[in-house]
Amino acid sequence: MTEPSTPTPSTSEPSTPTPGTSEPIPQPAKAKRVQNPLTLIMTIKSPADYEELYKQLTGIQALPPDENPLNKALIATQVVHFARFVFLENNTKMAVITAYDGSLGAYVNAFVDKVGPIFDLLLSHMADAPPLPVEQHRKEFLQYIEAHDVPVIEPFFSAYPTLTVLDILSNAEDS
Amino acid sequence: MADVNLDLADIQGLILRGYTMPAVRYLFLRIDDAAGARRFLGGLVSGDAASSPQLTTAAPWAVKPDSCLNLGITYDGLKALGLPEATLGSFPDEFRAGPAARADYVGDTRESAPAHWAPPFDKPEIHLMLSVFAAGKEALESRTASLAALFGRDGAMTEVGRRDGFELPDGRVHFGYKDGISQPTIAGGPDRKTPDMQPVIPPGSFLLGYPSQFVSHSYPVPQPAELGRNGSFVAFRVLKQEIAAFEKFLSDTAPQVGMSPDKLAAKMCGRWRNGVPVVLSPDTDSPEPPLPPDQYNNFDYVTSAEFNPDGVDDKKGFRCPIGSHLRRNNPRGQLVAGGDDGRKHRVVRRGMPYGPPFDPANPDDGIERGLLGMFIGVSILDQYEFLMSQWINDGIFTPGIGGTKDPIQGNDTPADSKFTIPDPAGKKVITGFPQFVVTRGSAYCFLPSVTAVKHLAGSP
Repeated sequence: MTEPSTPTPSTSEPSTPTPGTSEPIPQPAKAKRVQNPLTLIMTIKSPADYEELYKQLTGIQALPPDENPLNKALIATQVVHFARFVFLENNTKMAVITAYDGSLGAYVNAFVDKVGPIFDLLLSHMADAPPLPVEQHRKEFLQYIEAHDVPVIEPFFSAYPTLTVLDILSNAEDS
Repeated sequence: MADVNLDLADIQGLILRGYTMPAVRYLFLRIDDAAGARRFLGGLVSGDAASSPQLTTAAPWAVKPDSCLNLGITYDGLKALGLPEATLGSFPDEFRAGPAARADYVGDTRESAPAHWAPPFDKPEIHLMLSVFAAGKEALESRTASLAALFGRDGAMTEVGRRDGFELPDGRVHFGYKDGISQPTIAGGPDRKTPDMQPVIPPGSFLLGYPSQFVSHSYPVPQPAELGRNGSFVAFRVLKQEIAAFEKFLSDTAPQVGMSPDKLAAKMCGRWRNGVPVVLSPDTDSPEPPLPPDQYNNFDYVTSAEFNPDGVDDKKGFRCPIGSHLRRNNPRGQLVAGGDDGRKHRVVRRGMPYGPPFDPANPDDGIERGLLGMFIGVSILDQYEFLMSQWINDGIFTPGIGGTKDPIQGNDTPADSKFTIPDPAGKKVITGFPQFVVTRGSAYCFLPSVTAVKHLAGSP
């Protein structure tokens, strides 16, 4: 086997823009985007289910942020940048649209542990829901998400493709 | 956690405890005759040690034996035993796929890719993996001979390969670090031998049929239940270690970052080579007052009311770099992506060096040396594969190390490798280093219980 070459390791740092100037902050040329989009479209079972779901969700969302279980669950995952819940097509469908870090598959257990009860609530009103509760049917839950996640027209734009939720919160803490 | 009663006599010993034996031989067998293979398996759990070596269980010893024996079965092996489709289909996806199919996901690429794996890992011929642990060479050879006479009887099985490992002086690995200091404490298993502020792990993280570390969750038990319950899984790895390249990297780079090669080695690993954790002693392997060896695992990286109320808080990595090998493999109480701390992905590690000790006076001796590693858990996907893909070969799981990999274990290339040593006076960043660990082979095995082996032996 050919001996691999071992270039002399470097200890240099790439240059950064001058603070306080109008230079745009360059993105690394080979930066790998760490955030991923989720565009989950679910079909609501019936008008009665829509009415009930609307009532439950608006009730939750009306709570102060520190009492809102949805808010608290999403924060607890530490990987969700944004999330919104939208009714579509004359209230026959519901969309969950998020941007999150990394791999949904790798973090599905952590996600279910934090947000599982919220998804039990939503999915109980959906036409082709996976078996519930999701805490006990994690593989089926992941398969459901993957099957109902509408692909985006790439690339998914991010103004800060290399920064995770944890990076942003850590930087904010330091500033 | 409520008291857990495990049937220790039904569980393979190496899942719950190390044997502290200095020699190991892994025998890889191909099943040529299913009926003969089932007879062999039945002998391992017959209770008749005079007619066959017996599987070593987790039941306590009255007298420590001179050798221990454990059994792993690959998915190909379960098929070769003639199990029905419904049973085969009840095993996890990643186990059924096997390590070659999962190579990209875990970072076995380039030199580590399956196309370059050594025999017998280069063909789908591994059906059984017998792990023979021994007090010395004589016991190893004696036990191997007994097994060979049995598994080869009437052409039942053929040995397609073997790997031997022997302990190095002082329990070190070829990179020079003392190994085996930290293992998870499993509820229902042996008590901790030394202080460890990490929580006890639910049995369902390591054994099928019990609550796992996740909320209201147990991993599905392969069916029928007598086959799956009390079993576990192992990712077996042959990991070649590029010692000469590592030592050259340390001696070339250390002066550039203003530290000794030993200190750089410590910062990259997370432990000094003598086992002292860097987070407890960032600047010397001989702290004053001295740190007793039984305290080498009694630490965390962050403070917490429950586990580390009075300890150091190294959230920024000024003591132990966040991207170091130890901290990536087990972040302990540190917050990670997913919102948990590092405790949801523990693995049991059983490792033994292979190859003769490295001689710095003769660095290019052309001899392959490395580590034979077993990474045990109830879910290869959520434990071994998660560690490899999310924490070792990626850096987005915690702040500040995005775009980087484990500096010792990761599949780094000189073009994109980066290791940061945080420092209040200004961080030190090292780039351009190569990969120091190359995969030479891998096997995913089911570790059946004694009940399961009896079931397999009796299968039609």
